[in-house]
Amino acid sequence: MKLSTRFAEAGFLVTGEVGPAKGADASEALAGAALMAPVVDAVNVTDNQSAVMRLGSMAVSHLIKEEGIEPVFQVTCRDRNRIALQSDLLSAATLGVENVLCITGDHMVLGDHGEAKKVFDLDSVQLLAAAKGLSEGRDLAGHEIDSPPEFCLGAVVNPGSDDLEMQLLKMRKKIDVGAEFFQTQAVFDPAAFARFMEKAEAFGVPILVGLVPLKSARMATYMDQNIAGVSVPQRLVDRLAETKREDRKKVSIEIAADLARQMKTMCQGVHLMPLGWDDVVAPIVELAELGSTPP
Amino acid sequence: MVVGCGNCAAKAKSGGEPETEAMAERLRAKGVMVTGWMVPPNGGSLCKLSAVRKLLNEEYQAQSQAADSFLVLACGQGVHTVIDATGARMVHPGCDTIFGGETVTDDFITEYCSLCGECVLENTGGLCPITLCAKSLLNGPCGGARDGKCEVYPERDCGWRLIFDRLRELGQEESMLEFQPPKNWLRSSGPRNLSMQGARADFSFANITVSAWSSLDEPNDDEPEGDTA
Repeated sequence: MKLSTRFAEAGFLVTGEVGPAKGADASEALAGAALMAPVVDAVNVTDNQSAVMRLGSMAVSHLIKEEGIEPVFQVTCRDRNRIALQSDLLSAATLGVENVLCITGDHMVLGDHGEAKKVFDLDSVQLLAAAKGLSEGRDLAGHEIDSPPEFCLGAVVNPGSDDLEMQLLKMRKKIDVGAEFFQTQAVFDPAAFARFMEKAEAFGVPILVGLVPLKSARMATYMDQNIAGVSVPQRLVDRLAETKREDRKKVSIEIAADLARQMKTMCQGVHLMPLGWDDVVAPIVELAELGSTPP
Repeated sequence: MVVGCGNCAAKAKSGGEPETEAMAERLRAKGVMVTGWMVPPNGGSLCKLSAVRKLLNEEYQAQSQAADSFLVLACGQGVHTVIDATGARMVHPGCDTIFGGETVTDDFITEYCSLCGECVLENTGGLCPITLCAKSLLNGPCGGARDGKCEVYPERDCGWRLIFDRLRELGQEESMLEFQPPKNWLRSSGPRNLSMQGARADFSFANITVSAWSSLDEPNDDEPEGDTA
């Protein structure tokens, strides 16, 4: 089902995320998706996340759909030109994909094939426009296509960006060309998110706040120092540092649930990115009472 | 024979007289027979075919004729100029050709243009996102900048931050809202030609030729500005 339809029905959504393995085996991603399925409306499948070459998002999105779980097919502009991107969108549609997240993609220098030729034939705004065009029956070259696909198109925004004005302009542009919902970069600072939402809610497009469960003090520090637009408050780092290894998952769940509880009334959903800790999704949703309290 | 270039490669300290002579000596020291070396004089560029033809076939005829092949300390254009000037003799590239840039000072050149064939500078305050953004994004930044620095190359400024700061300065932030359609990359697909034989320059790429619009043309309201096919 399209997320736009779900938003209309439920008002508030929860989505999860799985990253395919580096190898020709989808079972781990499928197991992760199955674990989250009871508490989420859809599961994102990442596209060679962090520019690390892996099993593709289209295959895993399809397999998840076969299991009765709604996938959000992530598509990046990094590796494919406009012919391949449009063709993959058509292919995904024939495999049952209805939700597509159109993103630029991490630069290959940050991944494991740093010498690859950069493609970025389209950027995320142009990819949204291309997908929208396909759903309206024409390709980027203006040719009519048979049997147009039906998509709900998503996009991303970074509320913690150091230049919010520029982010908001680009967000507006994405909406203008067809974005129907947004997922955000990981947020650890509810006050900053509130400031973002003050401006962004005027767009009237559903926004799911991004949450990454912190696995350790080291990970928290790493994200704070290395991920753009992500700042992790020191008290969260300290709390994790004081936590015994065996209790980390429990504390991670508590921190994420607390953040979700603080921000759920500000937006239209939560997007959980467990980065492999697929079993924390259900406890976070339960603890933050995300399923039962649409704002 | 070792051939350098008196212009860009000389400035880049990779194909001027000192480097070309030193390369000839290094090869000789390794037992390679070097018939001679040549750099176009007075800052001359190796990519000027008529001048290079004259140099290699007249002034340096003996060295040129005796050579089995040419080691070229210049860009790829220079390498090909030597092929043309010598009647298609054997060449070896001695340099990696990198980019065309603005000579900011005598000892610093930086890249502001990727020579893509379809200019987008009108809406970007004159700063090129194809060149200055690590992902060559046309519709705004990726969201990965940190303190105004690029997430890919943290020592560099985010190209879109530079563009947007400039648009703010010019009071033209709104021009970022204009949707930039996908680029015509065919215009940057080599080999390309520019012919200046007619009244207008003709730019050819793929199997298309466009005549550049010239401000010397009589004003004609029916004709769109820019290229006319």
